[in-house]
Amino acid sequence: MSGASTVSASEAHKLVWEGAIPLLIHLHDSEVTTLPPPPPALVLAPRLGYLPLLISQLKPYFSSTLPPGVDTLWFEYKGLPLKWYIPTGVLFDLLCAEPERPWNLTVHFRGYPSNLLLPCEGEDSVKWSFINSLKEAAYVINGNCKNVMNMSQPDQVELWRSVLNGNLESYQRVSSKLKLVTLEDEYTENINAVPTASQENSGEGDAAAQVKSGRIPVRLYVWTLTEDFDDLESAPQIDNWDKVSYINRPVEIHKEDGKYFSLHDAIKTLLPEYFPASSFGNLGDASTNLSVADEGENTCDPDSSSLPLENAEIKLVRIQGIEPCLEIPFSWVVNNLMNPEYFLHICICLKVSEANAVQ
Amino acid sequence: MSAAHSPTSLTKVVVHLRATGDAPILKQSKFKIAGTDKFAKVIDFLRRQLHRETLFVYVNSAFSPNPDELIIDLHTNFGFDGKLVVNYACSMAWG
Repeated sequence: MSGASTVSASEAHKLVWEGAIPLLIHLHDSEVTTLPPPPPALVLAPRLGYLPLLISQLKPYFSSTLPPGVDTLWFEYKGLPLKWYIPTGVLFDLLCAEPERPWNLTVHFRGYPSNLLLPCEGEDSVKWSFINSLKEAAYVINGNCKNVMNMSQPDQVELWRSVLNGNLESYQRVSSKLKLVTLEDEYTENINAVPTASQENSGEGDAAAQVKSGRIPVRLYVWTLTEDFDDLESAPQIDNWDKVSYINRPVEIHKEDGKYFSLHDAIKTLLPEYFPASSFGNLGDASTNLSVADEGENTCDPDSSSLPLENAEIKLVRIQGIEPCLEIPFSWVVNNLMNPEYFLHICICLKVSEANAVQ
Repeated sequence: MSAAHSPTSLTKVVVHLRATGDAPILKQSKFKIAGTDKFAKVIDFLRRQLHRETLFVYVNSAFSPNPDELIIDLHTNFGFDGKLVVNYACSMAWG
């Protein structure tokens, strides 16, 4: 078992790919035209999948009761329309502070809220979103997305199918051809496609792309609290997408001698506006250094951004439904908890002062 | 890349709109847009200016960002020479 072409799935990969959310899906009252109303559908939705892809499973449950019209599928949770491009597992991790099993969702087949949700024309839209996210990730990692653009048509089809069907082996077979290497990992037993020295020198022009760049594509979903709550169940529900900051920033891993780069380090690097007191040397800019030096005094121009003077308190970090210990090596997180489009999706809840709350 | 940029800052970003293929060229192609705006704003602007519903909009001729992504993030991650290059086409240019 050696070389970039032989890839073994670690236990964690398998668990992540098999991860699923049990959903109890109720048809919205306004779309029930028969009595008795149809019972809700119980569906197991893959974490790595997307809600619109469930249409083929859901339609049979509700087709006989739907009013006439064209299907425009959308979902809501406690009145909040769900963004379809966010993987199902991430939606669950974000919106259910206290995990609800099964997760009760309402489905609509009519009346798409175009003012609130991006248009979605079924599987094609989801695939387009997925492939573009993959290109974006490739661009972050390699500085270009040639490898994705140069994929053969059969490979692209197989890649998408493997995501649709949750087929990890098939996915790894195709995705390893992309040679999207993020970083080496000393903490996972079976290392994914880490090139050996001889492979790095064996030359086609793309050999350079195999060198570990250390730039990790991340999508952050940040929401803030201003008060402490005994448990997350009593924390305010996210009832509006304005309350969530959707932040796309890559992490560059900085290794200091003798210290590994932890998940906590990664979060502080990703959110300098919430962790101004963190010392990452040249990563802070002049204004943050200034505000730290002036203890307790807000020297910022009231019209401009009000950078907090204290670090925010991390209340919750969720990745693939797991709340990892913050000291976990970030490289392990990257190599095991990434989504198939090479993005790491992280849900973070922070406690901040009133002035720094999100919206 | 990792300089602190607060979500509440008034940073404006320069966006350079470039026509691809047979898409019409805009009279004015460079704009300043708030970093806190979403990419959707650029897409909507192009749709209105070109009077077309169907448009394919890309960054650096490479990929189509999600419309909910923030301009500031796109600029930080993919900008060149202080601007964000956005390409638009009437048909799918890079599929």
